[in-house]
This record gives sequence, structure tokens and C-alpha cells, in this order.
Amino acid sequence: MHNYELIFILQADLDEASLNTAVENVETLIKNNGGEIAKIDRWGKRKLAYPINKVNEGYYVLVDFNYHPDEVAGLKRTLGYNEQVLRHIVVRKA
Amino acid sequence: MTESKSTEHGDRAQNAERGERSRRFVSRPKFCQFCSDKNLVIDYKNVELMSRYINETGKIRPRRQTGACAKHQREIAKAVKNARHIALLPFEGDFWADNN
Repeated sequence: MHNYELIFILQADLDEASLNTAVENVETLIKNNGGEIAKIDRWGKRKLAYPINKVNEGYYVLVDFNYHPDEVAGLKRTLGYNEQVLRHIVVRKA
Repeated sequence: MTESKSTEHGDRAQNAERGERSRRFVSRPKFCQFCSDKNLVIDYKNVELMSRYINETGKIRPRRQTGACAKHQREIAKAVKNARHIALLPFEGDFWADNN
């Protein structure tokens, strides 16, 4: 198990409820695969430095969690399939 | 008339001076910011910090400009690339002009 940090960008035009469910989905996804969530920090709506999919704004969420290294690839794949997630990045923390 | 002429002349003289100054090499002691300040952590999430290490066109600034040591320059480059991926920093173009 290692400490990881995940940032994902959700579509900013989603309503409050679907934003919450999207974040919860990621939360349960991590927990179901044996991860422990240390912190969830919602940065909220931010202007993107460049347009992604012709969108200029995104809803940023930062998740600090403890995870098994073998499961990270699966997590990335699942996030990639999710159309509400514009971008994601997983970084292992020192 | 005479006044405007004299100011024009003054401007030109100043410009010449400035030009000379910029041509002269001024050596400044180089030091790595991150080696001297251990509390300063290179973090791709820190937009304010990372934006200091890209130039107006969005390129990563070279070591001769940042003054960073080899180890920290590598970390900076990595962090800038991470920040670009999640659209905190631009791949190209003026990021500040856009935000204002």
C-alpha cells in the first residue's frame, strides 16, 4: 500500500447533485478496491489553462488515498471511461 | 517647439544609455532556490509557484534563467508537465493575458 494523490476534473456544467454522485462514485470505487481515503478536497470550479473538449471550465477534485500499486492501473482505466471526467492524474506521494 | 525638441533629445540619450546597460553583462551569484529553502516544495498543484518556471510562451524556463540545480530543475520540469496535463498551466501561449 502506498500513498497516492488523485486529481480529476469534472464537467463544470453538471448540477450539484450529479457532481456529488460523481465524486461519491470515485470514492466508492477506491474503497471497493481496498483503498483508504485520507482526504477529499474539492477545489470547485476553475478556469482551465486551455480548453478541453471545447470547454473552458472544470470542477477540480483532489483525493488523497492509500492504495495498492497493482490496482492503480484499473482505477485510471475506469476514470478514463467516465465521460463526466475531463482529465485525471494519479501521482504517488513521497 | 524648442522645448519639445529638447525632450526628444533627452529621450534618445536615455535610450542610448539603457541600451548600453543591457549589453553589459552583470554577474549575479547563482543559487538554487529549492536547495537554500528546504520548506519550499516543488508541487505541481501550486500554480503560483510553477508559473514562475514557464516563460510567456508557456515553455519551461532553462536552468540558466531559473538558477535551479540539476536535481531540482528535473523536478520542476516534471511538475510543470503534470500541471499542464490537468490544465493548471498552458502548453502554449500567454496564460496571464487570458486570465485577466
